[in-house]
Amino acid sequence: METLQYILRKLLTGIPLLLGVTFISFLLMVYFGPDKTYELLGKSATPEQIEEVRHQLGYDRPFIARYGQYLKELATMDFGHSDSTGEPVSGLLSRTIPISLALITPGFVLGNLIAVLLALVAAYHRSSWVDRFIMGFSVVGMSISFLIAIIGFQILLSSSYGLNMFPVRGWNMSTVGNYLSYVTVPTLATVFVSLGYNTRFYRAVIVEEMTRDHVRTARAFGIPPARIFYKNILKNSMIPIITRVIFSIPLVVISGSLLIESYFGIPGVGKVTFDAITTGDQPVLKAVVGLTAVLFVLAQLLTDILYRAVDPRVTLK
Amino acid sequence: MNPDQAPLLRVRDLVVEFSTEVGVARAIDGISFDIYPNETVGLVGESGCGKTVTGLSILGLIPSPPGKIVRGSIELMGKDLTAIPEKELRDIRGGDISMIFQEPMTALNPVFTIGNQMVDVLTQHRNLTRKQAHSVAIEMLDKVGIPAPGQRILEYPHQLSGGMRQRVMIAMALSCGPKLLVADEPTTALDVTTQAQVLEQIRLLQDEFQMAVILVTHDLGVVAETCDRGIVMYCGSIVESAGIEDLFNHPCHPYTEGLLQSIPRLREKPVDRLPIIPGRVPDLFHLPSGCRFADRCSKVTDRCRQEAPVLQQLTGSTAVSCFNPVA
Repeated sequence: METLQYILRKLLTGIPLLLGVTFISFLLMVYFGPDKTYELLGKSATPEQIEEVRHQLGYDRPFIARYGQYLKELATMDFGHSDSTGEPVSGLLSRTIPISLALITPGFVLGNLIAVLLALVAAYHRSSWVDRFIMGFSVVGMSISFLIAIIGFQILLSSSYGLNMFPVRGWNMSTVGNYLSYVTVPTLATVFVSLGYNTRFYRAVIVEEMTRDHVRTARAFGIPPARIFYKNILKNSMIPIITRVIFSIPLVVISGSLLIESYFGIPGVGKVTFDAITTGDQPVLKAVVGLTAVLFVLAQLLTDILYRAVDPRVTLK
Repeated sequence: MNPDQAPLLRVRDLVVEFSTEVGVARAIDGISFDIYPNETVGLVGESGCGKTVTGLSILGLIPSPPGKIVRGSIELMGKDLTAIPEKELRDIRGGDISMIFQEPMTALNPVFTIGNQMVDVLTQHRNLTRKQAHSVAIEMLDKVGIPAPGQRILEYPHQLSGGMRQRVMIAMALSCGPKLLVADEPTTALDVTTQAQVLEQIRLLQDEFQMAVILVTHDLGVVAETCDRGIVMYCGSIVESAGIEDLFNHPCHPYTEGLLQSIPRLREKPVDRLPIIPGRVPDLFHLPSGCRFADRCSKVTDRCRQEAPVLQQLTGSTAVSCFNPVA
């Protein structure tokens, strides 16, 4: 009951946040974004024609009315049709978001899981050669650009210069085997690049928890290392870990896959967003921006509830 | 102290070093002392003198790296704790020897209930189910004077006051019937009235549980009130060890004398300034070759600067490491 009330309250406080984000992005889109009039009419249009098209596009309506229209679209999830393909935006997104999720999830999960494990090993052996090796490897991973990692893995695994085991580009989810063959190389590149940052972050968190007084107390009472590790170190590290993981989800879903999708020619939502930005496809942009804001509000709510689950000092008030 | 009895704990020539980027710091330099069953010994000295490190090394809790027991032995009832494997040491920690710490605010795990933490300790050392351990834990909380222990046991550390938390620590420390309790500044973080209550509680339970207590503190008042014997440390070595009466009435080391004089108290004639010990504690990286207190001592001679004195038994209960002890 307490939790339910809390969720409702949080959702209500999320509304101003949503309004703020959408207002600013809509403002930018309207006054600094692309104007479709000239695209439709070409260079030698008469003022009457311009007037006519602007009216059709709704550009002559007051800003507040257009913003209200946008909010209505967001509430009903109906953003109209894409300017460039004519496809309904909702259809476009429901087709491409699953592809992006299938593409990004393995890399995201592995990137965080392996990083936590490496961070634990490094923290446990801190300032020994194991720690230095892992941290050195992290710096190398952080220093290599995503692009280089992608091309490197493509050459190593997908070209005749290397193992030539996986397709260079494209996407196919018809069978598990196909899926695996297309998802492997992008996943490896993602893990390789995210591992450095993640490991450093998690190591810092875990080292801090390892030096807490209550860890020393537990040792002084003869509690075995495995239990200290779980109850004193891991459980107390959960707040920063949860925060990092959950807050990267909205970014990963909407835009994180952009580079990968364009390099591997995968028709996901990142590619759709990128195309919408370059061609000025407003209906799609409005949808993507609005949904990102919604996802962030939900992610915030989720982290707050999870905090409560891991830390009794947090109250849902 | 009862000299007929065999000592419970026998520390001999203990040397603990910390390696840092600047060099090796010898935090404890060859200290030896005995603790007898059921006695209370105060380990006194100013910050950095090695008293906490001494307490931690008894339980093998020196953070390593950088710390290391370089030499010496710590024998509990004849068993050398520096030579046994970690697994065996874990059975002793919280079992035969317990330790409580200075910071009751941070010494308990914030994300588990105090009951959960106490039950962990109990099931670790005693052959109990978690359910049985739970009732033992409630009993222990009751013993240390926590009201409504049945409810308190379900609370998290942040729901308790500092004094309550320290009581929980004591309950946890005594729950497995230790023979020795190392209390590292157990009352420093508490306000004065709570301090007295907590000390009284330790004293009462000491009689009930028949255990020895090492009270690590910089507070001479606490030592005078609660201890049978005092060991004064300076700069990693023991300068004086004496029965409590002798220590306070006839301090033999100039440092002990200086410490006692610098306690603020009601005097017959008010003093303009509280006497202080001149100078500063030497840096652990640049220790003088002779007596470490030489530079601050009023009775210093040439011999003190060349030769380090060793702890020697004087009259009565006092042992002192000084060439020119205070008469």
